Amino acid sequence: MGLVVEHINKSFGPLQVIKDLSMEVREGSIFGFLGANGAGKTTTMRMILDIIRPDSGRISWNGADVSQVPRKSWGYLPEERGLYPKMVVEEQLLFLARLYGMSKQAAQKELDEWFERFQINANRKKKVEELSKGNQQKVQFLATIMHDPQILIMDEPFSGLDPVNATVLKEAFLEMHGRGKTIIFSTHQLEQVEELCEDVVIINKGESVVQGRVQDVKRQQGRNIVRLKLENDPEVRWLDTLEGVQVTKRRQDYIEMQIQSDRNPNFIVEAALSHGGIINRFELAEPSLTDIFIEYVGRIALPDAPAAVNA
Amino acid sequence: MAKDTLTTPEVDVPAQQQSTIVARSGEASLQNTLRNISLIIGREYKNRVSQRSFKISTAVLMLLIIIGSFVPTIIQFFASGSSLPTKIGLINNAGAVAGLQGASLNHFIETGLNGTTSQAAGAGSGSRFTISSGSSANLPDLLKQVKNGSLPVLLVLNRNGEQQLQFTYYSASDPSSNATDTTLPQVQAIASQLSTMDKSSRLGLTPTQTSSLFTPPSFAVVNTQQVQDHRSVGERVAGSIIAYAGIILIFMSIFMYGMGVAMGVAEEKGTRIMEILVNAATPFQLLAGKILGIGAAGLTQMGALVVVGIASLLLQNPLKTALFGSSSGGFNVDITVVSVTLLALVLVYFILGFLLYASLFAAMGALVKRQDEVQNAVTPITWLFMVGYFVSFFGIYDSSATWVRIVALIPFWTPTVMLMRVGTGTAAGWEIGLSIVLMIAAIFFCTLISARIYRFGILMYGQKPKLRQLAKIARSAKAN
Repeated sequence: MGLVVEHINKSFGPLQVIKDLSMEVREGSIFGFLGANGAGKTTTMRMILDIIRPDSGRISWNGADVSQVPRKSWGYLPEERGLYPKMVVEEQLLFLARLYGMSKQAAQKELDEWFERFQINANRKKKVEELSKGNQQKVQFLATIMHDPQILIMDEPFSGLDPVNATVLKEAFLEMHGRGKTIIFSTHQLEQVEELCEDVVIINKGESVVQGRVQDVKRQQGRNIVRLKLENDPEVRWLDTLEGVQVTKRRQDYIEMQIQSDRNPNFIVEAALSHGGIINRFELAEPSLTDIFIEYVGRIALPDAPAAVNA
Repeated sequence: MAKDTLTTPEVDVPAQQQSTIVARSGEASLQNTLRNISLIIGREYKNRVSQRSFKISTAVLMLLIIIGSFVPTIIQFFASGSSLPTKIGLINNAGAVAGLQGASLNHFIETGLNGTTSQAAGAGSGSRFTISSGSSANLPDLLKQVKNGSLPVLLVLNRNGEQQLQFTYYSASDPSSNATDTTLPQVQAIASQLSTMDKSSRLGLTPTQTSSLFTPPSFAVVNTQQVQDHRSVGERVAGSIIAYAGIILIFMSIFMYGMGVAMGVAEEKGTRIMEILVNAATPFQLLAGKILGIGAAGLTQMGALVVVGIASLLLQNPLKTALFGSSSGGFNVDITVVSVTLLALVLVYFILGFLLYASLFAAMGALVKRQDEVQNAVTPITWLFMVGYFVSFFGIYDSSATWVRIVALIPFWTPTVMLMRVGTGTAAGWEIGLSIVLMIAAIFFCTLISARIYRFGILMYGQKPKLRQLAKIARSAKAN
């Protein structure tokens, strides 16, 4: 069952931000929720958490409407991080855990464990504003998971972390997965999605453009990537005229091209040999999520298109 | 793909895209609601009373109240210290005056002078007199004493040819240049009294007949316009002092703690912890917890100040007894005379006024993006509150005028204006009751509207909505 989102719509004034969005998150899975800025990720997350309501459609967790699910079941890490800056770390976390319905003793026990694991015991009596940024992130993460929620909804959990802290958090993240928690997270680091997620959805302008298992999404593309390097012909100009091949990158070390997934890539080897080429490298690859993302979401996120990123 | 190329700050997202009405309300069970509200109250209360500014302001206000209540006693102490009994030398060359002579004459003049003190000299100056008599042979000697200042006043009695009394008053100071010295008029009053008694006794009247001759007629003044105030002068003075201290305290505290509510909401919004809070608790729980928690801190401070105030006022009478031998005389505020109702009303109006204004402050706090915008956002509320504050000070000259009575019943102004009317003794019991009922009704109404604005505002990071939009939200916001 898991989390089922069925045909939800949401408008703010005249602007429709979510259009007929449906998705399904299996219980216990890690689910990547992708989309460009302003695509409606935060709005959808808030609707899943029943902080705001969709205009139409239904969101349910194991069959029950999300408004009926106890608050303790939800853990939310908002994109904009926030804690009481002048409140002592320990008191703050205990307050939030108890607000979620935990008893004081249970919260204290959980807190001691996590402080040990995150190696921030020395900071428990400090005010949040006195902590380093990395430690603040850890505390923020604890604020999301300390009450032992069933479903974790995390908006950009790894943004702004140095590699060491990112690893610490990723381990905690995987441990939550190991405990059987359902995790929905959004990120712009698509390598992480490939590394962590079983399922994924990409939304654009409030609509789902592609979703499913990561493998299926890649196959759905209907294309394979071929990388070729010829020792005696670095440019391989004849590829441009070869039917069924689209060169996507010409790099010093190889040339990357897309072919229809139903075609046997051997025809490229045959063509290379017939052109007298000496093959140094020939490899088949699936398209990366980054490629798929850019293709669906458009050019707004391209690094070389600053016009779209007019912050 | 580098991550920073994708994380575009969401600055150009249209305002309405960010504006959201937080839905979660109503589903929470009563038990959950009470639990969460008390958790939030606990956090807010602890957060506030542990702030240094709270401790300092409480200490400073306590000190001011203690100083304020001791000042009249201290002034009285210094004033009485400077006025030792004034010595008056008396030389009687007139023989028996109205049957009085020697020691009995001295006694009559002494009691006459000291007995008239409070009426003639007024409260506060409390001068006293001792009389020492001498014979006419001592006249040059005593005159010398008057000249060098060791004897302040010398009074000489003679009879002229028609047996009329003649008084001569010797003094080293010029009475006309010393306005505060009431010795001369007091002595003059006694002299004319003696003269009249002397004349009537020579005409054959008994002292009783003489005194009945001079008894003033019974003359009662009844003002049909005013509400009858049966309270004593002391009670009335104490009443207005408590009322004014109460008005100032109420005004300051409601403003200070209301501002605290607005700042607190804006802080939660500005630091974005609001996003976590609305996931854990409902907006209603957050709003109620914040208002009640900060209100409890305010009540703690108010309570401490009131206790210190009452304690130091109660200390005044024992202190006066110790300093002056008796608590009578001088300016005397008897706290026990002040009706308990008035003190209770100060607290009642503080609580109601705070609840009324706090929800408005919270709504304003929810509409701003950052804490530093709060000051501007709450200006309309400040103005609204100030009106009542000023009316309570100007209205005192005519506290039973129709317009003041109406203003006192308007909930936003009741805490200050009605308190003033109660203090001046012009408020009827039914008016106080009605004002409380109206305030409670207004609290429900305002909290309802504020809660809607709050729910709309807490997750809104776009443009501040226009007044018309707000009115629409307040009218139409449904549970979803």
